[in-house]
Amino acid sequence: MIKITNLEKFYRTEEVETIALNKLSIEIATGEFVAIMGPSGCGKSTLLNILGMLDDPDAGSYVFNEIEVAHFTERKRADLRKHNIGFVFQSFNLIDELTVFENVELPLIYTGVPSSERVKRVEEVLDKMQIMHRRNHYPQQLSGGQQQRVAIARAVVNKPKLILADEPTGNLDSSNGNDVMELLTDLNEQGTTIIMVTHSEHDARYSHRIIRLLDGQSVMENIMV
Amino acid sequence: MIRNYIKTAFRSLRKNKGFTAINILGLALGLATCLLIVLYVVDELSYDRYNTKINRIYRVNEDLKLGGNNVLYAVCMPPLAKTLKAEYPYVENAVRLKNAGTSHVKKGNFNISENRIAFADPSLFDVFTLPMINGNPASALVEPNSVVITETTAKKYFNSTNVVGKTLLLNDNTLCKVTGVIKDISKQSHFNFDFFISMASFPDSRSNEWLRSDYNTYVLLKDPSDAKKLEASFPELLKKFSGAQMQAQLNMSIDAFEKSGSFFRMNLTPLTDIHLHSNRSGELGPNGTTQYVYIFSAIAIFILLIACVNFMNLSTARSSNRAREVGVRKVLGSPRKYLIAQFLTESILVTLIATVIAFFVAALLLPLFNHLADKDIVITAQSLVWIVPSLLFIVVFIGSLSGSYPAFYLSAFQPIDVLKGKLAAGFKGGRLRSFLVVFQFSISIFLIIGTLVIYNQLNYIQTKNLGYNRNQVLIVQNIFELNNQAKIFKQEVKGLPGVVNTTMTGFLPTSNWKNTAIYFPDASRDQKRSMFPQNWEIDEDYISTLDMKMVSGRSFSRDMATDSDGIVINEAAAKFLGFKDPVNKTIYKSLGGNHTADNVKQYHILGVVKDFNFSSLRQNVSPVVMRLAENNGALSIRVNTTNLPALLSQIKDKWKSISPNVQIDYSFMDQEFDASYRTEQRTGQIFIVFTSLAILIACLGLFGLAAYAAEQRTKEIGIRKVLGANVSAIVGMLSKDFIKLVFISILIASPLAWFFMNKWFLQDFAYRINIQWWVLVLAGVAALFIAFITVSFQSIKAAIANPVDSLKNE
Ligand SMILES: Nc1ncnc2c1ncn2[C@@H]1O[C@H](COP(=O)(O)OP(=O)(O)O)[C@@H](O)[C@H]1O
Ligand SMILES: [Mg+2]
Repeated sequence: MIKITNLEKFYRTEEVETIALNKLSIEIATGEFVAIMGPSGCGKSTLLNILGMLDDPDAGSYVFNEIEVAHFTERKRADLRKHNIGFVFQSFNLIDELTVFENVELPLIYTGVPSSERVKRVEEVLDKMQIMHRRNHYPQQLSGGQQQRVAIARAVVNKPKLILADEPTGNLDSSNGNDVMELLTDLNEQGTTIIMVTHSEHDARYSHRIIRLLDGQSVMENIMV
Repeated sequence: MIRNYIKTAFRSLRKNKGFTAINILGLALGLATCLLIVLYVVDELSYDRYNTKINRIYRVNEDLKLGGNNVLYAVCMPPLAKTLKAEYPYVENAVRLKNAGTSHVKKGNFNISENRIAFADPSLFDVFTLPMINGNPASALVEPNSVVITETTAKKYFNSTNVVGKTLLLNDNTLCKVTGVIKDISKQSHFNFDFFISMASFPDSRSNEWLRSDYNTYVLLKDPSDAKKLEASFPELLKKFSGAQMQAQLNMSIDAFEKSGSFFRMNLTPLTDIHLHSNRSGELGPNGTTQYVYIFSAIAIFILLIACVNFMNLSTARSSNRAREVGVRKVLGSPRKYLIAQFLTESILVTLIATVIAFFVAALLLPLFNHLADKDIVITAQSLVWIVPSLLFIVVFIGSLSGSYPAFYLSAFQPIDVLKGKLAAGFKGGRLRSFLVVFQFSISIFLIIGTLVIYNQLNYIQTKNLGYNRNQVLIVQNIFELNNQAKIFKQEVKGLPGVVNTTMTGFLPTSNWKNTAIYFPDASRDQKRSMFPQNWEIDEDYISTLDMKMVSGRSFSRDMATDSDGIVINEAAAKFLGFKDPVNKTIYKSLGGNHTADNVKQYHILGVVKDFNFSSLRQNVSPVVMRLAENNGALSIRVNTTNLPALLSQIKDKWKSISPNVQIDYSFMDQEFDASYRTEQRTGQIFIVFTSLAILIACLGLFGLAAYAAEQRTKEIGIRKVLGANVSAIVGMLSKDFIKLVFISILIASPLAWFFMNKWFLQDFAYRINIQWWVLVLAGVAALFIAFITVSFQSIKAAIANPVDSLKNE
């Protein structure tokens, strides 16, 4: 599904140039559950943003579903993204002014799903995440674990082929964290490819494969058994 | 402590440079505009204040109703002034002024045409404060053929102000001795003359007629409170002095005259009211109107409000970002009043900076504004005496007002709520802010509509069919200079190629020559049915030269020997007289004097000319009768040529060959016409400037608010983009809220503007437009467009930002 080759990303800030990704090459197959680990600042988020087409690489190739997307325009990337990729963030990134229902509904609005269909699909996914009873609450009224479940609901409502999760359990206690990991595992078992950045060896064990980054380069790959 | 506040305030302002700049700029612009308008209004309100006895000076007016005619005069009977002084001990003095029209004053070999000349009684310098540089004010205007001139005039003719005893030759026949030189009269005076000739030089001034009004008459009372007493005694006075003359001329007593529904009354206008509140027949110059003073004052207040609203909006918007700072301070034990003081210091500081800038901007723009408003306003030490305290008041007032909301609102919060971020969420909706934006935009839209209406009306005036054709008409003034050669001049000009037709008379629709007479529809001379029309003298070519239309009958003709007994009237006159078929009817002109049969002259009506506008479009067309008579006021020439300069120089040559010593004085009829609407033109221009400023200031505020809203929502925008929102969806989302507010403003402003423009502006015109629906729509669309551009600038900036940056703070 994903094949990156010699991917490079630099940040230039007032004379200091940071190499966030240094000729990184990785391949990820459809249906995989991959964990990315590494010390803070090694480029994990940068990689995830590029994979999620939120950002573009400075050099190298990125083939997504057989299509070279490294030089796609912002518009084309946005189009590909909204139909194929869901995001889960460490800080949830729910919109405070919208209810649980409305938050989850957003991606469907942006992909032009008709209203009646939207209600059905949002209710379905809220049910699955067991937060249906909170549908009219606002994010501030929920606990961290519930908020992350809403975020995951929002990420999967469009039935994306790929879910990118950046430290999804970073702001949660271990019990809520485990719930989230179970959810992700379920999704993976139903066929969704998952790439997750994490600091926790415990969480990493849910994945099939761990890619370890150091200074923007892949240093090791562990296959989980 | 204060120093600490100021230091902190400065830092906070520096930290938010963008907001501070918008705040200061908007407020400074608003205050500067406001200051200019205030200077204008003060100028208008301070007319004639140079007179030290201003509170004791009154002008005597006459109100006349004769049959269906009603005339308000600013002039009175010739003997009134001396009679008032003699009869009433509390009348300290009285003075008459009479506009002397145009005269020629010799300088070297040349005659210079002067039109600011008046005859004046010797008491002029006792009543009015016209300081004399040279000469004796008490005796200057006593002797016949004495003249007092202004400083500038003295320099113009003699290159010196030390000219008492020198002589000026007027109209090549009257030698006047200069007996005084006065300081130039302030532009803020309801009369403005360069020459005052002694009344004794004018024999008519000794007339004892009590049934005519042609002298501007002023009284100086011993005490202002005597004005009521004087007014109350007028009926008695009239009976005593004009009763006998009325009996002789109209064959009736004053009582009978009043009983018949007519009247003949006098009243007083305080000198302070003349400039803004008097618009009578026979004024000594064009006066102002309170209308514009009110409109501009309202605009000033509006603009100031808009600027203040900006300030409040931006301050409250920004202060929600400071909620955390407030929370921390409170946790650390800062009492509420310190926080309030801190916020107030900040907003007063901003106001102070803005006010200082505003003052200098206004001073800088003053010459430009003077040009626009045709004023000579200067900021003097005297005006600073009131400007500086008012500005300081504004600093404190606006500073506290705008600072009070954030100060009291924020400081009242519980620190825990603030720190938890509850405040930020509650603050975003900003109901007050929405209300204020609606308020601002309502004003802006109101002003846009106002401007459009004024321009529509001006355009209407320009394009209205006036009943005559003012284009391609050259007017050569003062044909009387040519004496008995005038007719020859006319014939020769008429023969020039490119000249279509000519007519010789001073009575033109665009000129100030006016003359009235009394006509009766039948021989009984029943004054109840008398008509008081414009009484013009024209020649046979008048109607055709000016392209007027005859509705019925015919105009004067050279082939008809009896036409000198004929008369042409306009439709208004026909209607007034009540004739169904006016042609060939007879009307009777009063020749004044005693009420006997030989004191009327019969005229038969030859034809009716279609009504044409000869006075301002503010007034309805009133009756006009035109007689065939030689009048050498001016020669109007209808031309049809591509080479006007060549024709002009031929006409000039002809003039020169007849009258080498007098400069030809010519103008174009369409320009004369335009000149009479200069006030409206100017108002339109001023309106445009102020409207643009108001909108600019409102947009500055909107710009700031949009920036703030976008900033508040960067994270949300980022999330939405990650979830698939495109740029236009984001721009739409951010603009929607503001556009909604502008829509509400349109709904509020349109009916108000419609109502007030009809009431304040259009109502003054007898001939006026109806406000069209598209004016309202256009104003609304313009406001929407401007608001949208302003807001989208910020929205697009926010929408195209990379979401990765706004979501990074994990
Ligand atoms: N917008 C940016 N500007 C400059 N440097 C950046 C930016 N984003 C990330 N970096 C740098 O790139 C490197 C990788 O960052 P990141 O991918 O966020 O690391 P992490 O593995 O902790 O997620 C870091 O050294 C970081 O400082
Ligand atoms: Mg990271």
